[in-house]
Amino acid sequence: MAEKKELYLGYTTDKAITPFMQSFLEHLDQGRLMKSKCGKCGKEYLPPRQHCQKDMSECTLAEVTERDAKLYSYVIVDFAPESLSSRQPYVVAIGQFPSGLKLTAHITNLMSLPEVGMKLKLGFDKSPDGKMVTYRWLV
Amino acid sequence: MARRVAVVAGGHSKFGKRYDATMRELCAEAYKPIYDVGITQDKIDASVLSYAASQFTGQGAGSALMADYIGMQEKPHLRVESACTTGTASLRAAWGMVAAGLYDVMLVMGVEQMNRVSSATATEYMSRAGDMRWEYPYGISFPAFYALMASRYMSEYNMPHDVLAQIAVKSHHYGAQNPKAHLPKEVSFEEANNAIPICRPLNLYDCSLITDGAAAIVIAAEEKVKQFTDRPMWIKGIGAGASENMIQDRPTLTSIPGAKRAVKAAYKMAGVKPEDIDMAEVHDCFTIAELIAYEDCGFAAPGKGREIVENKENYHTGRIPVNCDGGLKSKGHPLGATGISMTYEVMKQMRGEAELKSRQIKDVKYGLVHNVGQSGQFVNVFIYERGW
Repeated sequence: MAEKKELYLGYTTDKAITPFMQSFLEHLDQGRLMKSKCGKCGKEYLPPRQHCQKDMSECTLAEVTERDAKLYSYVIVDFAPESLSSRQPYVVAIGQFPSGLKLTAHITNLMSLPEVGMKLKLGFDKSPDGKMVTYRWLV
Repeated sequence: MARRVAVVAGGHSKFGKRYDATMRELCAEAYKPIYDVGITQDKIDASVLSYAASQFTGQGAGSALMADYIGMQEKPHLRVESACTTGTASLRAAWGMVAAGLYDVMLVMGVEQMNRVSSATATEYMSRAGDMRWEYPYGISFPAFYALMASRYMSEYNMPHDVLAQIAVKSHHYGAQNPKAHLPKEVSFEEANNAIPICRPLNLYDCSLITDGAAAIVIAAEEKVKQFTDRPMWIKGIGAGASENMIQDRPTLTSIPGAKRAVKAAYKMAGVKPEDIDMAEVHDCFTIAELIAYEDCGFAAPGKGREIVENKENYHTGRIPVNCDGGLKSKGHPLGATGISMTYEVMKQMRGEAELKSRQIKDVKYGLVHNVGQSGQFVNVFIYERGW
């Protein structure tokens, strides 16, 4: 059996990685953003949930194929929580895909102030040691 | 049918950076005025401690420490926690016990001591009240959640930051007249509008304070009220609501859905309407939160809250006076004490006991408390009626 790769989400983490999260992170490491879908009622979740909110049925992971989105809202974090103070300032954005699904992530390549409604594109990133993986928004 | 319950007394510590005290001394400071009006420990059946976050001090089992320190070590006690609504959640729990007949008289004590850690660490702890798996790894602090609301609100309603700065000016105007306030100083519009950014579009003067302090009230069942006061403040309506945990999952960011549900339930139980309310204490953890509260409480239509600000209807002589004690913004926001402090302020205003006439609201018959936890995951709304 192949050894599990050590992976964490985002820029700081509590490192509570369940088998479900491990699978999500392995996909992310390969450049695939996964949502989850309830096998019973078909409801979709992004970010994914292991259990359906309605009846706790098991959900399965499915790839998000959309790449283009619009900026629903944003914040420029000038004073960060202690664990992210070395990254400040950074921009956290809620992007919305045409399907209506939303995703909260950093915008990492802004050259001017963000504006609600501006176009975003989904991207991926990882730390130099390859352990911290993330989705991100690009303009 | 539940028994009627009234707030019969209250006390309040000085809010601020209280390096001269720990939570036990703060609780004593808040209970002392209650003891001094004759509500001694033997007259209180039980207590609830509103203490939101033990990580700031490291003190666990806070209700045992509080009860022992103020001489109620033999009386039943418990602790409630629900972020920034911990105060009104504690009051809701106590109200239920008194209304049901389990106890006749209860003390509800709110306390928090946040300045035992640095601002960055306090910001870190509060950010962990977001979703630890999906939000925390992106450094979404407590101000950041409200900045996400502000960006969306300002875009949808084409509103400049000036409106938020005017709310900060009003809060500090009243905080400067409140001897219990953490930051009792006036600020100019220019200072409020151009302060250093914290989480853009929110700046320093848009944000509430990291505060130490305590506040306490005593509630009593109808049959006992006359033993303590001839000026009871009846709990007329209670509403509670909740919203989606992740902020991106909310159907809107220009309103707090759980607040609207709580407000509707409170008005229904009280049998009153927004136009009946003579004053409000709303949860202004950030200036945008106060603006949204005007709309969620029914004082203004969606997108029209700015008219209350621009017409100064929120001042003590205005149509709907709001936070004339300085609010969380200037009085301070010691998480567990906040909801109790708001209740205490309504009682003071109703009794005509504001320290200065320049912040005394005239003839308060109905007062409303709107207390929000985290970014809207918890909301409690109380409506009070003057009982004399």
